[in-house]
Parts: sequence; structure tokens; C-alpha cells
Amino acid sequence: MRPLEYLRLSWRSIRGHKLRSALTTLGVVIGIAAVIAFVTLGASLQAGVIGDISPDDQRNAYGWAADPDVEGGPLAGAQPVFSQDDLETLSEDEEIDAAYGYMPLSTQALVYEDEISPQSDALVAAGPSYIREETLDEGRQFESGEREAVINPAVAGQFEENVSVGDELTIVLQGGQGTNVTVVGITEDSEGLSPFEGFEPSPRVYVPTDPYYTEEAATMLPGDGGPGEDGPGEDGPETENPETEEPAALQDGDEADDALFLAIVVEADSADDEDVDAARERALAYLESDESDASELLGDDLEVTLQTSAELLQQLQDVLDLLQNFIVGIAAISLVVGSIGIANIMLVSVTERTREIGIMKAVGAQNRDVLGLFLAESVILGAVGAILGTALGLVAGYLGAWYIDLPLVYPLEYVALAIVIGVLVGVASGLYPAWRAARTDPIDALRYE
Amino acid sequence: MKTGSAVSLEDVRKTYQLGEPVHALDGVSLEIERGSYTAIMGPSGSGKSTLMNLVGCLDTPTEGTVVVDGRDVGSLSSRERTQLRGATVGFVFQTFNLMPRLNALENVALPQLFQGAGRGERRDRARTLLERVGLGDRADHLPNELSGGQRQRVALARALVNDPAIVLADEPSGNLDTETEADVLDLFAEFHEGGTTMVVVTHERHVADRAERIVHLLDGRIERIESLEEEASGRPSEPGSSD
Ligand SMILES: Nc1ncnc2c1ncn2[C@@H]1O[C@H](COP(=O)(O)OP(=O)(O)OP(=O)(O)O)[C@@H](O)[C@H]1O
Ligand SMILES: [Mg+2]
Repeated sequence: MRPLEYLRLSWRSIRGHKLRSALTTLGVVIGIAAVIAFVTLGASLQAGVIGDISPDDQRNAYGWAADPDVEGGPLAGAQPVFSQDDLETLSEDEEIDAAYGYMPLSTQALVYEDEISPQSDALVAAGPSYIREETLDEGRQFESGEREAVINPAVAGQFEENVSVGDELTIVLQGGQGTNVTVVGITEDSEGLSPFEGFEPSPRVYVPTDPYYTEEAATMLPGDGGPGEDGPGEDGPETENPETEEPAALQDGDEADDALFLAIVVEADSADDEDVDAARERALAYLESDESDASELLGDDLEVTLQTSAELLQQLQDVLDLLQNFIVGIAAISLVVGSIGIANIMLVSVTERTREIGIMKAVGAQNRDVLGLFLAESVILGAVGAILGTALGLVAGYLGAWYIDLPLVYPLEYVALAIVIGVLVGVASGLYPAWRAARTDPIDALRYE
Repeated sequence: MKTGSAVSLEDVRKTYQLGEPVHALDGVSLEIERGSYTAIMGPSGSGKSTLMNLVGCLDTPTEGTVVVDGRDVGSLSSRERTQLRGATVGFVFQTFNLMPRLNALENVALPQLFQGAGRGERRDRARTLLERVGLGDRADHLPNELSGGQRQRVALARALVNDPAIVLADEPSGNLDTETEADVLDLFAEFHEGGTTMVVVTHERHVADRAERIVHLLDGRIERIESLEEEASGRPSEPGSSD
């Protein structure tokens, strides 16, 4: 008898007990669905996150100073310690291509052609090369010292009329003062450009630290105000004396040196691990040495962390992996329970169909035919459970990925694996019942009421 | 032997050990000729079903030899026995004869499946046989959509599908009313006319009377063999005293 015939006949008997078969496969469905959903979500998350590291980003090391006991992602517990002087010194190092400060700035609103759009954390001050060429959809990087900005599509599309390159925006800062910028570039998408920003898309305006941050820094008490405050500097320092804003703008030159950055970006010459490590070591060595301004502010409690995107992501990945292993563990238990369910129903089925087995044997069915028929039945149950579970898991995973706005990834190898596992579950749970069926004595079976 | 006997039993014993041995068959010798029509009668527990199981290659004797279609059943492996059974024996049982989830046509085709026949071939042959038993228009019906007599006819079609050397029926009319019973028995006669070897186990005299001879069993032995050769064409009306 041919394998296809086993499947055909077995499918008939499964269809004969629709509800029972459906309930039997439920354990497998749930187990497989859980795995597939989380694998899909994980793969999408990975693609969304890793996909953001362009080759250019890979030569960046992101640094901040924090108490080493503070746990968390980038900028957790960060204190502003990096001075303009330090950055200039670093930039001159031969291992370092560029070094610039990074500073998220609090805002109240963005104004475009008299239209006001309230925004709290839309402003990011950084160096020109923070805007990498390939992330630009149109226009160019801003230039240091100019009142220029690169915006992302979330900002551009926020107003009645789309903002385009060359337009003027007014940014209302936390203190209430407005400052004008000329849009010189628009990025391709609205996701963060570095781990500092996070990965979820949100409206952002990128401006040069000089003049935007140096101006604002001048409005606070230089030096001592910074490190004493906590938080990523978004709402701390500048709330103290909004009246002094005008002088700050005028005193440009001198005050710029006192601006302290919350974070820095150190760009190596290339994305090679060696170059990145060399740049990082040089930067760390300098920042921790007595020559730097930062070393004074670091004191005993703070430590500088300099990490690449990949390393920062690895931490996220580790958490994700742990979660995934946990889910896979639960799913494995669910599959074991599912197998027991199938085995149980198959045993009931063998007993119920004793007479049928007797008839089949009387008309010439060999033991292996009966074995094949029952095994095919449990394999169908397992495989159907796996297919339904995969479909359910994909839907759930995609809904999840769509909800948190990640790119959809099709983990095809897992789909194939799920179906193989379903078949294996079917074989494992059907083996004993099928063997019992196969060795049924036809004489006893025919006498069975 | 091949031309003469479809089945031959020689001093066959079947003993069950249940504390004290039970001799279900106790020295039975019998020849069943090709194309013959034999009825087996006897009181309950006399060994009729045991004999059928041996003739049908479902079981092997404790002692003696059973030769079916020229092959010694006792010397075959279980696989070979199944093979022989599938190819040379057709069964009709009293009740629950059919696979409940297969339709009439598929039930008839089932034995060919285990012989490895292709799908088209199976369906053609099964359809021909269903037509021969007068159920050509019931091919798609499930067993529970058929009457008792129709089910027995499907079972008979199935018994014949592999062109067996012998058809065994164990109380095939036990559950049928007189009219349907007559129908089924007419079919048996018809197939016998067509050259099929028939063996029918029955409690009822008028069923046995349709055969060419009646083998009377008692306590695992052949009590006597009654020949009905002369009367076989005309229906005997004698009410028949059960041994
Ligand atoms: N598997 C078995 N184990 C023990 N004894 C058995 C077994 N099968 C049959 N017997 C015994 O063998 C004897 C003959 O049984 P068998 O089934 O052949 O009777 P029968 O003539 O078919 O009776 P009935 O007309 O009631 O069907 C009985 O005494 C029965 O108890
Ligand atoms: Mg019996």
C-alpha cells in the first residue's frame, strides 16, 4: 500500500471526528503559534534595529558619562561632562576622524508659516556628520556654526503644507524663546539616527551644536550647574533663568567653551573593528587623563562609556534572546502536552476502531498497513496543528510587529521547522497507539463488540 | 490438489488453554472442492467460527494441517498468511461488516488497496461488482445510509473483489428479515453458479438448504455430512430438525 493512500484514508477518519480532531490539535497549535509569533516578532525587531546601522554608523562610538551602577540603555544616568575643548582635542587625534557632542534639547513647539505644532523633545543638537549622507533623502548636512537644520519626514509632514528644503522653521525652546532655522536637508525616514535617539520613529529636527546648544548652554550657570543636575539635560539646567537669554546669544564666542555635552560621538577612520577600537581607546584614554576637562567632572562616581551601535544592540539582543528562550521553553512544554493529547486520542481511536482493524486485516491488511494508517493519522493531526499554529503565529507576530511599527520579516526557515516539528510530534505521539493497532489480533478484533 | 480442492483440512485440532484445555476443534478432516457450496451447521460453541478462522487463514491449527489454495497455512509466516488471505479469501460477517466512514464503492475497493492495486483499477472493479449485486446506484452511500440487506450485498461484493478462491460467510443472514435474507441467499446462489466456492456458517436450516452439502459439527468434531446435491436446484420445503 502506498503512503499517499494511508494519508487519504486517515484524512477520512480525521474528518469523521471534526471537533475531536480540532481539540486534539489545539495543544500543538498553541505551542507552535507561540514560537512562531515570538520568532517573527524577534526577527522583525532585529531587522528594525540592526537594519538601522548603516556602514557609516558602524564606525561611530557613542559615549556618555554615568555612574557605573546605573543600569539601562544608552544615556541612562548620563551627566554632561564633555567640553568643547575636549571634543576639539579628540578631533585632532590621528586615530579619530571626528568627535562631536550630542545633546537632546527640550522644545515647546515648532512653527512653520504661522502654524504652531507643539513638540516637546524634537530638537537634537550634534555635529554635521551625525547626519550620514545615505540617510538623507534630499538636501545636505547642516554646517557647524550656521543656523541650519535637517528635519525628518515626521516633521516635514506635520504641517498643513509640507516643509521642504530651503524653508524656514521657528523652534520655540523650553524657555519660550524662539530661534529660526533654515531647512537644508530631509532624512529618508523618521527613525532615530543613533542609539541615543531610540529606534521608534518620531519627529526630529537636527541642528548643529554650534550655535544651538552653545547658545542655550550659555544661559545656565557655566560648569557647576551641569553635573549637579540629573537626567539627560532635557529639562534641568535651562529652566533656572530664562531672562538671561539675550546676553547669552551675544556672548557667543567665549561662552561656547563652557558648554558641556551630555553625550559624544567619536567617529573612527573606518568601520573596521581595529580602527573603531583604536579610536575608542584613544578617546577613553584622553577623557580619563588629567589633560581633559571631563576628568575633573568625572570625579569618583562617574565613568565614561563608549560603545558602538552593534554593542549597544547586543545588549538589547541579549534581553530579546532570553525572552525568546523562555517562550520557546513554554512552547516546548505546550508541544509535549499536545503530543500527549494526540497520543491519548489515538489510543481511544484504536480501541474504538478495533472492529475496523479486524475487518481490514481480514481483507488482507498487513501489520505495516495498519501501522501506517494510524501513524498517518497522528502525523496529519500534528502537521495540521503545526500549519494552523504557524498561520496563527505569523498573524500574531505580524500584528505585533505592525503595532510597534517594525519591518515585517518572514522567518521562512522557522515555518519549515515548525512543520517538521509538527510531523515529529505526530510520529512520536502516534507510534505507540499505531503499534498497538498493528498487533491487534484480527480474530479478537472481529469478536469485539 | 490445485484443481481439486480449494481447501483441505486433515485431522485439524484447535486447543485453547484456559486452565483446563478447551478443544474447539477436535480432529476435523474436510475437503472443500473448488466451485462447491458448503453449509456448516451446529449448536453454539460447536466450533463453527473456529473452523472458519482456520479456513480463512486468520488462525493456525494447534495440530493437523490446513491447506488453502494449495498452501499449508500452518507453515506460513504471519505476513505470508495475510497475503494469502487477502488474495484468496473473501469474508462476509454477521454484523458490522463495513468500514463506517467509507462509502459503498470504497468499501468494495478496500481489499484491492492492500494488494497494491492502482486507484482507477480499484474503482472500475468495485463499480462492476456493485452493479452485479444490484447497488450500482448506491456507490456513494455510507454504510449507515444503507439497509441491512444492502450492507450485506456490499460486503459480498467486497468479498469477491479480489477474485478469491473461496468466500466465507459467518452467519451472513443472522440480522436480516426473511425477505432480505432471501435476496442475499439468491445472490450467493448466483455467484456459486458463476463458479465461486462458497462456505456459509448458519444456525438456520433453510439457509443451509441452499447449499450442495451441509457439514454438521458437534463439540469440535464433524458429526455427519449431509449431501443435498439432488435437491439443490429445487428448494427443499422440509422444515428440518436441528440435530
Ligand atoms: N480465544 C478463545 N479462547 C478460549 N476459548 C475459545 C476461544 N475461541 C473460541 N473458544 C472456544 O471454542 C469453542 C468453539 O467456539 P466457536 O466460536 O468456534 O463456536 P461457534 O460454533 O462459532 O459458536 P456460535 O454459534 O455461538 O458462534 C467454544 O467453546 C469457545 O468457548
Ligand atoms: Mg460463531
